[in-house]
Amino acid sequence: MNFEVDYLALAPELVVVGTILLVLALDLVLPRPRKYWTATVAVAGTALALLPLAAMAIEGTTRSMFDGSFVVDQFALVLKGLFLIAGYVVFLMSHHYIESDRYYQGEYYLLLLASILGSLVMSSARDLIVLFVGIELTTGPLYMLAGWRKGDVKSNEASMKYFILGVLSTAILLYGMSLLFGLTGEVTFAGIAEATAGRAGEPLLTMAVLFMIVGFGFKVSAVPFHFWAPDTYEGAPTPVTAYLSVNSKAAGFVAMLLVLYLAVPDLSQVWAPALWVLAALSMTLGNLSAIRQNNIVRLLAYSSIAQAGFMMVPFAAAAVAGADLEEAFSATVIYMVIYAVMNLGAFAAVIAGARTTQSGEIPAWAGLGRADPRIGVLVLIFFFSLAGIPPLAGWFAKFVMFRSVIIAGGTATVVLAIIAALNAVVSYYYYARVVKTVWMDPATTDLQVQEPAGSLRLALGVAVVLTVLIGLYPAATTFVTEASKVLATGG
Amino acid sequence: MTVIQFVILGAALFSFGVYGLLVRRNLVLVLLSVELMLAAVNINLVAFESMLATSELLGQVFTVFVITVAAAEVGIGLAIILMIFRNRQSANADELTLMRW
Amino acid sequence: MLTPVTLADYLPIAVMLVLAAGFVAVTLVASRLVRPDNPTPEKLAPYESGILPEHEPSQRFPVKFYLVAMLFVIFDVEIIFYFAYAVIWTDLGWYGVAAMLLFTFFVAETLAYVWKRGALDWNVHQRRRYIDREAA
Repeated sequence: MNFEVDYLALAPELVVVGTILLVLALDLVLPRPRKYWTATVAVAGTALALLPLAAMAIEGTTRSMFDGSFVVDQFALVLKGLFLIAGYVVFLMSHHYIESDRYYQGEYYLLLLASILGSLVMSSARDLIVLFVGIELTTGPLYMLAGWRKGDVKSNEASMKYFILGVLSTAILLYGMSLLFGLTGEVTFAGIAEATAGRAGEPLLTMAVLFMIVGFGFKVSAVPFHFWAPDTYEGAPTPVTAYLSVNSKAAGFVAMLLVLYLAVPDLSQVWAPALWVLAALSMTLGNLSAIRQNNIVRLLAYSSIAQAGFMMVPFAAAAVAGADLEEAFSATVIYMVIYAVMNLGAFAAVIAGARTTQSGEIPAWAGLGRADPRIGVLVLIFFFSLAGIPPLAGWFAKFVMFRSVIIAGGTATVVLAIIAALNAVVSYYYYARVVKTVWMDPATTDLQVQEPAGSLRLALGVAVVLTVLIGLYPAATTFVTEASKVLATGG
Repeated sequence: MTVIQFVILGAALFSFGVYGLLVRRNLVLVLLSVELMLAAVNINLVAFESMLATSELLGQVFTVFVITVAAAEVGIGLAIILMIFRNRQSANADELTLMRW
Repeated sequence: MLTPVTLADYLPIAVMLVLAAGFVAVTLVASRLVRPDNPTPEKLAPYESGILPEHEPSQRFPVKFYLVAMLFVIFDVEIIFYFAYAVIWTDLGWYGVAAMLLFTFFVAETLAYVWKRGALDWNVHQRRRYIDREAA
C-alpha cells in the first residue's frame, strides 16, 4: 500500500476544509452583529482555493494518488475551477439575499462550502468509493439549504421532496455500484474497465449499469426522474436554486459521464440506448412543460431540465452510433461549462429583477425593461443566450452539440438530432416570451426600482462578461477540449 | 453458505425498502425504508467482499463509507422532518402538496 | 473499440415488463369479473357504523427524542473510523496518531457548535429562552 500524500494536489480541497473549520469556529465565537465575518471568510477561502489550481494548471502534470483513486489532471482542474468559480458567484448572489432573511448566517456559508468541497473531491474521483463520497457531500448539504427558510412551508416542502428523492437515488445508485463491485472485484474505474471488457450482455452487469443510470438520472433531474426539480427549485431560496441548477447538476453529470466513459465503456450497448431515451425525453418534456409556466423560477427549472437533455445529446449520439466518444465527451463538457455561466447569470438577473418587481410571476415583470433598462438588458442577454441565439455564448454550446452529432452519423443519431433541433425551436418561444414581457408589455403596476447590492452586481458582471466573451470568441473554450482529451488518453 | 443467498437477501431488503418508500405516508417510516435500501447495499458489499477477498478489503471499506453517509442522511432527514413538524404539526407525506405542476 | 448498439440486449427487460404489466392487468380484470359489485354509501364509508372521522388521529411525535436520536446517530457513527484505525495503528505510527487527533478535533468542533446552539439541553423551554437571550 502507498501512503504517499501529494499535498499540492490536495491543496484546493484542504483550503476549503480549513475554511469550513474557520467559518464554524467564527460562527461559534462571534456575537450576532458581527456574524457577517463568516461570509467574508467563506468568499475569501473559495478564492484562495483557486491559487493552487492555477499553480497546477501552469505546471501541467498529472498527479495521481492512492493507487489511482484520486487523480488531478487537466480535466479535473477545469472542473474544479468551474465549481469554485460558480460557487464564488453563488456566494456573491447570496450575500444580500441571506442577510435580508431572518435566519442564521454562518450555517448557510458552511453548508454551501461543504457542498463545494464535495464537488471538488468528485472531480478527481477515479474510483467508485471516492465518487460516491464526493457526490453525497455535494448533495447532502443542499437538502438542508433547500429548506433554508425554516418558517416557510413551501421551503420545507422543497427540502423534503428533494431529500426523499435524493436519498432514493443514492440508494439505487449504490445498489448498482455494489453489483458492479461484486461482478468485477474492482472499485477503480480503470480496473472495472479492464474487468468488464468483452462482457457485454451479462444480465447482472446490465442491471448494475441500469441501476446506476437511474440513480444518476435523479441527480441530474433527467426526465422521467425529474419530478422533484421544479418544486425544489421554486421552494428553495433563489441563490440556492442557482447553485442546484449549476453546481449540483454539473456534479451529477460529471459523475455519470466519468463512470460510463471510464469504467464501463465496453457496456455501451447497455447504456447508450438508455441515455438516448433520457436525452430525448428530457429535452421534449422539459421544453413543453416550460411553455406553460408562469413563475419565472419554475420556468428556469424546466429550462434546466431541457438543457440537461441537450447536454446528454452528444454523448448519447456518439455511443449509440458506436463512434469515438472523445469528441462527444468534450462537446458535453463544453456545453456544461457554457450552461453554467449563462444559467448563473440568468438566476442573478432574476434575483435582481425580483427585487424591483416584488414577484416571481412573469406577468408582474411587465415594463421592467423601461423601469430599469440595465436589468432588462441583462435578462435579455441571459435568456437569449440560453435560447442559443448568436452572438451570445449559448449558440456555441448548441453548435458544438450539433457538430459532434453530425460527426457521429447513423440513423438513431439523426433522429436525436432532429428532436434536438425541434426542441431548440420550441425553447425560443418561452425564453423570448420572458424578454417580450420585460420589454414590450406595459407595466401593470408602478415599479419602484431597487438597486441591486454591490456583490450581486459583481456576480452579474462576471456572468455577462463571460457570456458575451465566449459568444464572440468561442476559441476561449479550447482549453476545455484539450483538458477533456487528457482524460481520453488516460493522462 | 454461498454468496447467492446473501445477494438474494439484499435484493429482498432492497425491494421492501422501495415498497415502503412508495406506500408509507409517515415521513419517519419513509426514512426507515430508505435505510432498509442502504442496508441491502451493505449486505451486498460485505457478501461480495467475503467471496472475492480483495487484498485491500475494498468491499468493507466501501461499507464503512456507506454506513457513515447513511447516518449523515438520517440526521438530515430527521432534521427536515422536525422542521416540517414544527410548522404543520404533522409528519404526513400526503400533505406536501403545496406545489403541483 | 465500441460496438454499435443492438436492442436485443433489452429483450429480457422488455419481456419482463410485459409480463409484469400483463399480470397486473389480468388480476384486476379477473377480479372485477368474478366479484359481486354492489356498492352502497354505507359500504363505502371508512367505518360502516359509528362516527364519521373528520381528520386523521394526531400522532405522538416526541420532538425531544428525535433531536437526541439525530445527534446520536451522527456522532455514534464516527466511532467506525476509530475502529478502522485501531486495526492497523501499529503500522501507521505517529502519522496515524496525528491524523486521528485531527479527525477528533473536527468532530469535537462540531460537538462544541451543537452545544453552543443549545441542542443538548434536554429542557426545550429553557433552550428557547437561551436563543431569545442571545438574539436580544
